[in-house]
Amino acid sequence: MIILKDLSKFYPPDVHALKGVNLHIKPKEFICLVGKSGTGKTTLVKLMIAEEKASKGRIIIGGWDITDIRNREIPILRRQIGVVFQDFKLLEKKTVFENIAFALQVSGISLVRMKEIIPQVLKIVGLEGKQDRYPVQLSGGEQQRVALARALVHRPKILLADEPTGNLDTQNTKEIMELLLKINDFGTTVILVTHNQDVVNSINKRVITIDSGKIISDQKKGKYIL
Amino acid sequence: MSISSIRQIIVFAWQSFWRNFWLSIVTITIIVLAFISVNFLLILNILSDNAIKVVQNKVDVSLYFNHDASESQVLETQIYLSAVPQIDDITYISQAQALEQFKQKHQGDADIIQSLNELQENPLGATLIIKAKDIGDYPDIIDVVNNSKYNNLIQDKSFDDNEVFIDRIKEVSDNVNRVGLIASGIFILISLLIVFNTIRVAIYTHREEISIMKLVGATNWYIRSPFLLESIIYGLLGVAIAMAVTYPILGLIQPYVNSFFLDSTFNLAQYFSQNIIKILGVEFLITVLLNVLSSIFAMRKYLKV
Repeated sequence: MIILKDLSKFYPPDVHALKGVNLHIKPKEFICLVGKSGTGKTTLVKLMIAEEKASKGRIIIGGWDITDIRNREIPILRRQIGVVFQDFKLLEKKTVFENIAFALQVSGISLVRMKEIIPQVLKIVGLEGKQDRYPVQLSGGEQQRVALARALVHRPKILLADEPTGNLDTQNTKEIMELLLKINDFGTTVILVTHNQDVVNSINKRVITIDSGKIISDQKKGKYIL
Repeated sequence: MSISSIRQIIVFAWQSFWRNFWLSIVTITIIVLAFISVNFLLILNILSDNAIKVVQNKVDVSLYFNHDASESQVLETQIYLSAVPQIDDITYISQAQALEQFKQKHQGDADIIQSLNELQENPLGATLIIKAKDIGDYPDIIDVVNNSKYNNLIQDKSFDDNEVFIDRIKEVSDNVNRVGLIASGIFILISLLIVFNTIRVAIYTHREEISIMKLVGATNWYIRSPFLLESIIYGLLGVAIAMAVTYPILGLIQPYVNSFFLDSTFNLAQYFSQNIIKILGVEFLITVLLNVLSSIFAMRKYLKV
């Protein structure tokens, strides 16, 4: 369960990125967070992974109030939340295996265990046999799959996908969306941040629309309304 | 922290070292220069200490007694002075011994020997040679002698020339030490700034990895450790290279040391070899402390975790 209570974020001198946002997200839900550019979607993501601190209000994730989270607790939080971005954030000089292993190394997982986990995750994202390739040898869709695999290796309860299809063509967008739905079917809460109307309309999931830092619509099985 | 994490931290630090190779070389070079200058300061201190020790061993106060002072009076003076705490040793040279020494010293000078033989009695008085526990004690000892009832038995006292010589050694060594300290201080300050800058650049070149590390839940220490380790590698390599450069120079200096300390067998290289663990230990400790401090400042400023 993710609970946002009266959440606000101000940036000096006078930017109000979020204004009193209230939101309840149930476990295993699939949420589409939509809105125009600069309306506060990414700020919301940053607050949920404690990259930014809220100016007002509370953020509770899985019963854990992370509003005033201590610095040393942030890594624990981030291992429970997988994050993918539009620009994939892959290391060009590392292979697919090494990119995913990078996430496991920080938790002190042994190489033997990595060799067990990584092929399983690669199978889930449909990249079997490509573990020795470098990002430049992969298509955009495949690179985003690697990023998803990296986000999933910690078996997070929540997956935050911030514009994951922003750099992809229609076919790759469709495949990534199918993958996100599949991940959701496995029991992971997925929060998809997007302004892609077609994507939102095609999956028929809960749609939360943000405009000027406020939630202006919350539809159970919604459509892109802006 | 698991073995896998430690291995990864070492790999990361090593990568950073090679990725900014030329910057790493410059950093190490400055640390090498700093510690070569520290080593020279050390050599200078060792040499001046040794020089003072050699001269101190040669320093004594000779009390030349009047020709008519009796042996019992001289020995009474010796007993009296033995009680002075600053005095380490008193050697008694009788009138006969003094004459014998005088003859030996001037045995090539026929005129002096002949004049001596013409005299009916021994013209020389007895002598007490006094060694102090510390070079600074001689003025006190002379004061004690001057104020004692035995002073009128003493014809002459010799001391002043050696004192001037020691003061000169101390003065020269203090001046060179001062210059050396300033030079070492400047080099150490430069190496601190260079290490700071190198770590800043390392953070910049690793910004992608760092952002991903943060994203996937790396702890602050996991992110910071490679940079700390990198700065420690610079320090350790710098100190080791500085010592490797210093050693052959010790061999080059040795002939000059030998000619300066004529009758002493002081060997610089041997001194360094005997104290190498202590010297390297202290230098490693200093460089690790300074470099860690410098990289912590760089991380606090440029690495937001």
